[in-house]
Amino acid sequence: MHAHGHRKTLRPITFICNAPQAHAVSLVGDFNAWNPTAHPMKQMPDKAWLLNVELHHGHHRYVFLVDGNLTLDPRAQGITRNDKGERVSLVPVS
Amino acid sequence: MRKTATGTKTTRARAPAKKARDATRSRIHPVVIYPFRQPNDYSDLCGLYQLIARLDAEKGKYARPITVMDRKTHCAMEHDSSFLDFRKSTVGRHSDILDAWCVDTCQMWYSGLGSAFEKGGADDVYWLIPGDFNYGTAVGQEVLGRLHDLPEIILELEQDLCIGEIATDHNNSKQLIDTYGTFALLYNWFPAEAQEIRQFTERPRSEFFAIRHSFLREILAQRWYAYEQTVVMLLQAVFSKKRISRFFVGNISDLPEGGESLASAMQQVERTERVIKTFWRERHQPRIGWTEQYRVLEAQSEQIRRTALVILQNLLG
Repeated sequence: MHAHGHRKTLRPITFICNAPQAHAVSLVGDFNAWNPTAHPMKQMPDKAWLLNVELHHGHHRYVFLVDGNLTLDPRAQGITRNDKGERVSLVPVS
Repeated sequence: MRKTATGTKTTRARAPAKKARDATRSRIHPVVIYPFRQPNDYSDLCGLYQLIARLDAEKGKYARPITVMDRKTHCAMEHDSSFLDFRKSTVGRHSDILDAWCVDTCQMWYSGLGSAFEKGGADDVYWLIPGDFNYGTAVGQEVLGRLHDLPEIILELEQDLCIGEIATDHNNSKQLIDTYGTFALLYNWFPAEAQEIRQFTERPRSEFFAIRHSFLREILAQRWYAYEQTVVMLLQAVFSKKRISRFFVGNISDLPEGGESLASAMQQVERTERVIKTFWRERHQPRIGWTEQYRVLEAQSEQIRRTALVILQNLLG
């Protein structure tokens, strides 16, 4: 229910992926053209992987790439499919 | 999942500009289903119509909202001045009232969505908003604040159907009905489609949804059922490979009204079975020999329904 002008607004969004055994985790989504190298995540002392990304207002599709495997975010607010028909997570940015 | 953090790497991502441009050409048609039984306390409806007033004010984005009101509701309350005042000064002010004689809530959906569809265009989206929710509570306010995401997801992500999902705990009656009734019956009659549906939602009877114009046209052209129309829409979406999304709109597990009577729960399972088996029959009856398979599935279905009723009796009775 936001005016279309809000689309230019950037909001910091924190993504957390709980994959303690993983060697590499990255965030891929429609905001980075599903590029596996665009948004590498950083492993924190508690072994969870963390990344802050500034996203525009709207709804974005994403998944975690955990050691090369597409992994849904169990804490995502929604679920949909990407253009390849794969199930992906959904994050609203307001 | 989302919280502001400091001291971590922050990157900037590109905006999906084309989708944003497409979305601005479309309009969203809110359709409110007014409660069949007028509550004595208007606080929930006041909360809802504050949202409807805001939608009505955003004329570039939203079509004039429609409120579907069953004539029986109106007739039962026509001598009540509070109701008449609320209808005129709130409901009628912020929405077009569609008065209709309806046998059930799904017929109210049919009337409201059909009426909105006639005013809509090819790029439009229709957004169903059930009126009998505790919008005046804190949880209800949270739901109200998230509902707008449903039609926006359709527009921005080019989806056909977006189901609003409400979280409940495992022992909530709605969850029990869906776990032991709806999904068990779906797995019997439509096993492949049921698995696909469950990949998206645990609430296949949700009354919160938004639907794209082209898919609504298909749905309106097909037979409507007096109840559990969301289940039918999800099945049709899977059959025709529509793009389905699910979005979490809130948590009702803390609401005292979350519990339902055993009789009501039993009725919901029974009518879900009735709809699913009728739908199966209509899809398969052109095929030779369908009656034998139907008899087998019906026998299994009866076992499932009886088992569901035993479980519901143990947990709700």
